Amino acid sequence: MPEGVAENGGYMIAAYIVTAVILLGYSVLLARRTRKSTSRRTDVQG
Amino acid sequence: MTLAQRGRWITLGALVLLAGIYVRALRFTPVELHQGPAQKIFYLHVPAAWSAMLSMGFVGLASILFLIMKDARLDRFAAASAEVGTTFCCVMLTTGPLWARPIWGTWWTWDARLTLTLMLFFLFIGYQVLRGAVTDSRLRANYAAVVGICGLILLPFIHLSVYLFRTLHPLPIVLKPSAPSLPASMLVTLLLSFGVFTLLYVGFVMQRYALGETGDA
Amino acid sequence: MRELLRHAWLIARKDLQLEFRSRTALASAFVFTALVLVIFEYGRDPTAVPTIDLAPSILWVTFSFAAMLGLNRAFQAELENQALDGLLLAPISRTSLFWGKFGANLVFVALVQIVGVLLFVLFFNVPVWRVWLPFLLVCALATIGFIAVGTLFSAMVVRTRFAELMLPVLLLPFLLPPLIAAVAITVKLFAGRPLSESAGWLRLLAGYDLAFVSLTTLLFPATVTE
Repeated sequence: MPEGVAENGGYMIAAYIVTAVILLGYSVLLARRTRKSTSRRTDVQG
Repeated sequence: MTLAQRGRWITLGALVLLAGIYVRALRFTPVELHQGPAQKIFYLHVPAAWSAMLSMGFVGLASILFLIMKDARLDRFAAASAEVGTTFCCVMLTTGPLWARPIWGTWWTWDARLTLTLMLFFLFIGYQVLRGAVTDSRLRANYAAVVGICGLILLPFIHLSVYLFRTLHPLPIVLKPSAPSLPASMLVTLLLSFGVFTLLYVGFVMQRYALGETGDA
Repeated sequence: MRELLRHAWLIARKDLQLEFRSRTALASAFVFTALVLVIFEYGRDPTAVPTIDLAPSILWVTFSFAAMLGLNRAFQAELENQALDGLLLAPISRTSLFWGKFGANLVFVALVQIVGVLLFVLFFNVPVWRVWLPFLLVCALATIGFIAVGTLFSAMVVRTRFAELMLPVLLLPFLLPPLIAAVAITVKLFAGRPLSESAGWLRLLAGYDLAFVSLTTLLFPATVTE
């Protein structure tokens, strides 16, 4: 990295981590809710 | 394959592509000269904004169509889009200040874009809180549609009012956060990221819609 | 059209008569307004910030909170006595019902604003009378905008749980454009600037009112369909 560029890489890393956490977290949340609802349905039907 | 399964595959695919974006943005896209590495937050923040706006647009559109056609599927789609939009808003509201702090020296400013984001977030939250507070499904769908349509029409007014305010009281901006003309490699990264975030929207909404079908929302 | 307005007037008059008989909401709104102004008066440091800078914001914060108080009671009375069903069965159009409610809310908020401005002039010594006409215009335009949305939303939230909490949550984003515009114009007016300098803001207010009075009128029937 050239001299004189701001040393703000920490913010970049934080932002990338937070975004990943939010998006992965929501994906997992959706998957779990789907599993819970399908298992409930098979329980009712089965 | 059920809708939920297809949605899950699409989401998975989008997440893998997102990892690709991460690599490309962090490793293979040049660092911006004036802003430094923090500028790379741009490749996540702006596409997230796009997805959030897209979500709201579809909530509004589905709401209008629902009031005309009374098809419950449209209401379900609006609910799904709102929840997904909230997620993207969260990404915006976290990456925004993390970008603002090193560039503008402050975590938050009431500029047009950030204020619009915050209000969009409140709209999504209000929409979902309202849905949660109404037990009758027909009433809930009607109420949600009303708020959805009002919310959509509100957005340009929020933008205009904050923009007018800020141009009359300009902020002491140290560095301009978004360059009007991007060099090619940065533009490509951005466009790819747009694509991935759009795909994420699709995958998320499919799964969330499927949840709505089982009567869980 | 004449029929519509006549019915709307009947609804509005009924609401206002009810309110004047009990006076609870008006009283609490007046007290609240006075309280807020007193708090701001004693909270500020007179040597630090000139009143004129704070004045418009304080005024409009007060107005919006008072409006919220008024909006909450808009459909309360009907709900408590199941009177809403009766109203819906009556041979008046949904639009008349909405405009009646809207009108009553406007009158309510206007009364609170008048008292608020009087107290405001008393406490903050701001020369409102010099610009009373443009100020009146701004107040009217801004208030019409968010009361329209507020009336529509209060019709919905009154049937939900946590109604008093729900209304501010839903209404907040809708308050932003008219309030920002109102504060911006008020600042200019109190500073002695001509109204023409606020042309952009006035257009925004007018546009907002046009858009949302039409939209809320259109959407109201959807909130009372059985």
